[in-house]
Amino acid sequence: MTRLIDPHLSKLSFLMEKIGNLAVQSINLAIDSYLEGKNVRNESHKLSQEIMALYDEIGNLTFDMILKYQPVASDFRLIRSSIEVSYGFTRFGRYAYDITVVRDMFGDLSECKNEVIYTLTGEIKHMIHLAVQCFATLDLDKAKQLKTDEYLVDKYYNKHLPMLINSKNVKCALADALVLRYLERIADHAAFMGESVNYIVTGNRRS
Amino acid sequence: MSSYENMEGHYMSELQEADKMETVTKSPIKHSSTEDVKYKLIAENIVASYDGVVAVKNVNMKFRDKAVTALIGPSGCGKTTFLRCLNRMHELTKNAKLTGRVLLDGEDLYSNEQDPIINRRKIGMVFQKPNPFPTMSIYDNVAAGLKLNGLRDKSIIEQIVKGCLEMVYLWDEVKDDLKKPGMSLSGGQQQRLCIARALAIQPEVLLMDEPASALDPIATQKIEEMITELKKEYTIIIVTHNMQQAVRVSDYTGFMYLGDLIEFGETKQIFENPRNEITAKYVQGQFG
Amino acid sequence: MITVEQRAEFRKHFRYNVSRRLVTDKIIKGVVFGCVVITIIPLGSILLEVFRNGASALSIEFLTQVPGAVGEAGGGIGPAIQGTLLLVGMSSLIGVPIGVLGGIFLSEFGNNRLGKTIRFFNDVLAEFPTIVIGLFAFIMIVLVFGTFSILAGMFALSIIMLPIITRTTEEALKLVPISYREAGYALGIKRWTIIMRIILSSAKSGLVTGIMLSVARIGGETAPLIFTILGSSQFFSGFDQPMDALPLRIWRLSLLPYDTAAAQGWGAALVLILIVLALNIGVRYVFLRKHGRSLHVRITGGG
Repeated sequence: MTRLIDPHLSKLSFLMEKIGNLAVQSINLAIDSYLEGKNVRNESHKLSQEIMALYDEIGNLTFDMILKYQPVASDFRLIRSSIEVSYGFTRFGRYAYDITVVRDMFGDLSECKNEVIYTLTGEIKHMIHLAVQCFATLDLDKAKQLKTDEYLVDKYYNKHLPMLINSKNVKCALADALVLRYLERIADHAAFMGESVNYIVTGNRRS
Repeated sequence: MSSYENMEGHYMSELQEADKMETVTKSPIKHSSTEDVKYKLIAENIVASYDGVVAVKNVNMKFRDKAVTALIGPSGCGKTTFLRCLNRMHELTKNAKLTGRVLLDGEDLYSNEQDPIINRRKIGMVFQKPNPFPTMSIYDNVAAGLKLNGLRDKSIIEQIVKGCLEMVYLWDEVKDDLKKPGMSLSGGQQQRLCIARALAIQPEVLLMDEPASALDPIATQKIEEMITELKKEYTIIIVTHNMQQAVRVSDYTGFMYLGDLIEFGETKQIFENPRNEITAKYVQGQFG
Repeated sequence: MITVEQRAEFRKHFRYNVSRRLVTDKIIKGVVFGCVVITIIPLGSILLEVFRNGASALSIEFLTQVPGAVGEAGGGIGPAIQGTLLLVGMSSLIGVPIGVLGGIFLSEFGNNRLGKTIRFFNDVLAEFPTIVIGLFAFIMIVLVFGTFSILAGMFALSIIMLPIITRTTEEALKLVPISYREAGYALGIKRWTIIMRIILSSAKSGLVTGIMLSVARIGGETAPLIFTILGSSQFFSGFDQPMDALPLRIWRLSLLPYDTAAAQGWGAALVLILIVLALNIGVRYVFLRKHGRSLHVRITGGG
């Protein structure tokens, strides 16, 4: 039986897919350009704005649904999580932009060895893709995977950040530190998305 | 969003700390073992039928003291019949049959020694459509349960009438003319008058059968405010088909369907994360 | 989906029917009104005739004196008036309580086979020819006690009024919504208290209507009085003595060939009608005055 809220839920899922894809696109752009040494600050900024606009649209839609239909149970959990996850996507956009700003601000970083960053970016790209998938399919296994991935990223971050203290090149060390931080935050938010999915499916927050 | 900022530590121990904070603020009702908890009213194995139709099929429910329990479910699921079993009103229906026990403070209301009249005074009832006695004034309506049951002391009656009218937030509106006919009040006021009348006989438990369904939103709001105040001293059981009302007003909710109790639990849990599929379908409006 | 244009198209067909309906409406209204007029005419003409013919006979002497010699002017119908008032009053004293209690039984406790049976017999009794009831009273009271008496008259009249009151009481009580009884039960009030203090007072107006109907009925009954109170020319002299009553006097007067008797007969008829009218208005005035305020029921949406 179709309820009055169902078309709105479909629209919500459409918007969530859109914002998710944009977020992934923006991070991929930022990371790839950074590793290649390209300056894409303006492009990234534009993407970030688009993501924010979608976030506002999602905000309006979810509040409209809450006002009109007073949803409960899984509808409610889905709507609440959509608000949280869409915020997470804006964070993706923001951090992607921040990464491009590093390149813009610091100038040419070709002398820096990007090994540390390079290793991490593979994991991060995998994670953000997983997060979008996880939300789209409400797959609890993917959520669990995100949690373990995030734990690994944390370990990696905690290991390599202190090592930068001993770096000879200040410029490279600073750039690395900033980018490492942003990547770690992106991983965090990806993991939060997994938790939101867990909440939608099981009703438990922070399992 | 601030909880994300709180998580900035990334250390598992911080995560655990945050978990601890969550549990403390989780629910207003302390989780003690079920043995300690005081259940004011317990319904055991209630099977009720009338005219050959079994309306309530073996329902067990426990109602906590000084709390509001809501009964929800689609039309015809047996919730009103079950409610009427609690104060022995069901036996007044034509060809009514009932088995089971209802324990009020440990005493079985259906045991042979108990006079049903006495029990109906311990458990008050309010009906869907306001029904103040048409030939009586406001004062007489509230005092009806007292006067018609033999209470003669005028000063005590006055005290009780004033107290009850105050509890339902009607005193200030009617105190200047208590001799006005009960039927001259508006619908919402009439319903509050009926609640005052039910409270006048000093019950322990108050049963309410869709008390606000015939009223406009403002009147409904007043009734809900009143229920939230009353639950500090009374045990309240409310049947409602308005789920938002159940969410606003009740601490516990029971969902009934086709005569069975499908799920019972804290209201927050029933409406945020129902465990039973039928419950989830019903609260989300997937069937009427 | 019916569009605006389609609606306009459909509406074109309606107009023709509407005007025809208005004419039919008017015709039927006229016919119904005519029927009402036809109904009122006999009532109006009776009242008119009685007033015209009887008004001239009214006087203090007429209302208070015993009848004079047969065929002579003078004298009055004092005993007849007294007799009617006494009979109606005493019969009501017996008939009303029993009838009301019977009505209560049928309405509150009579939804079973016993109730159905009683209801059936009650309805049969209501249709009984009153002359037969009069004969029954003759056998039961007059023959047993040896004299015609008011007692016999009371007996017969209360039997006549009983089924009417029972039936109307039952109907009046059934009109009281069940929710008031439920409210009473929920307050732990005993069943009889609910019936007597709440339900009965809610049904007051219906009850009074029923009682007044039966009072008017027995006030005008003549046949049963013939075999029971016999008639007399004296004022009340004892319950075991014959007595006069207005319907009886009217009948007796109408059989006489004298003009004065005829005039007195019309006068008595007028008095009888006036008594019934006065009783009706009086009881309603007393009742409505007490009950007036509770008839104000505010129709609002809540709040």
